[in-house]
Amino acid sequence: MERRTQARPTGLFLTLCAAMLLLAMVSQQPWASGARSYAKGAFAPFEQAMTAVSDHLGAITAVFGDNAALRADNQRLQAQNADLQRQIAELQAAGQDNLALRQALDFQRGYGHATVAAQVIGRGPDGFSLTVEIDRGTSDGVRPGMVVASGAGLVGRVREASPHAAIVQTLADPQSRVSGYLVKTGLEGTVIGGAANLQMQINPRFGAAPAAGDWVLTSGVGGGYPRGLVIAKVAAVSYHDASTVDHATLTWVNDAATLTVVLVITDFAGT
Amino acid sequence: MTWIPAALLMLFAATVQVTWAPAISVHGAFPNLVLVIVTVITWTRGQRAGLLWACAGGLLLDLAAPGPLGPHALALLVGAYVTGFWVRNVDPSGPAHPVIAAAVSTAIYSAVLVGADDLLNLPVPAPALVLELAVAAAVYNSVLVLPIMLVAQRLRQEAAG
Repeated sequence: MERRTQARPTGLFLTLCAAMLLLAMVSQQPWASGARSYAKGAFAPFEQAMTAVSDHLGAITAVFGDNAALRADNQRLQAQNADLQRQIAELQAAGQDNLALRQALDFQRGYGHATVAAQVIGRGPDGFSLTVEIDRGTSDGVRPGMVVASGAGLVGRVREASPHAAIVQTLADPQSRVSGYLVKTGLEGTVIGGAANLQMQINPRFGAAPAAGDWVLTSGVGGGYPRGLVIAKVAAVSYHDASTVDHATLTWVNDAATLTVVLVITDFAGT
Repeated sequence: MTWIPAALLMLFAATVQVTWAPAISVHGAFPNLVLVIVTVITWTRGQRAGLLWACAGGLLLDLAAPGPLGPHALALLVGAYVTGFWVRNVDPSGPAHPVIAAAVSTAIYSAVLVGADDLLNLPVPAPALVLELAVAAAVYNSVLVLPIMLVAQRLRQEAAG
């Protein structure tokens, strides 16, 4: 066998491993972020082209299958459903605000922000970091740290931006953390990312109990996100006597795998 | 396999992986086409070719991932090296071996990727989640590797004869 007689390329392996480690350490440095962004931006057109091909193929197969109208109706109804759910959550939140300190609050509520619409052109290469890539970058005013939303609610935050593309860390990413509150009870807590479901650690308060079906909105605590963006709906709540917080499983209003268009909030400077 | 078709194939696989593949995820895991193709190249063309294309394919994946360049390439390199070690020590004609090699390579790839992120002080997911995703991806990739291997062998035979 020819393969068996070849010299074992351990030297090549070790050299390439060392080179990749060195590249990782160098490209991680702040002074290299510009070059890294440009390199990543070079790959974006291929993703954009592939996404366009995918859209065309989807349209062609839909025509052949006589499903185009049904697909359009389904998408429209899904969008309407998401929008109505968001409105319900916002109305509930508005009611609570009226009861409490609405007149004293002096901040611009969600969706009063300046936004840049962007198309999702790619996604993370593995399941460990659930990110999406969008076709807007620094030349469109998009900067790392900016908050990203969709018609349904909060999507995540821009993590890296090149001139014509940006990578967004979605809430489905296990690393994401957002301060949120329950609309009906006003209970606050931290929403933790997850591939299957979001989790929320709720700070308990005497006389208030979290319940399934309640909406979770961004609280604005910590300054990372504007207050009032819809995050998720409570699917289930669990209590543990030994725990200092209550735990809730949430159903995210967005789905990272099917997102196609997002809005980057450009006038909110999160901390 | 000449360089240009191989490079185009790798570019195509990486682009498909970051655009279409997530749409067919199962339990949060989706196929790693670049890893599958690197496994096939290593199996059919040898360890040296596998290592070089692992490096190239990994860098393409790094371009679509957040964080520094290099972790995906490093993870694929280790996977390709193990696959090459495997192919040198077993009878490579059996259909079960590439399937097992793809699964093992996926598990090692996942472990190295998370380890590299940890080494670079990047956030890493919980070990239970890593295990769940790695197992699901290993099953996915091992299912995919056989048909792609058959196509590659057929193309190679046609090119030779």
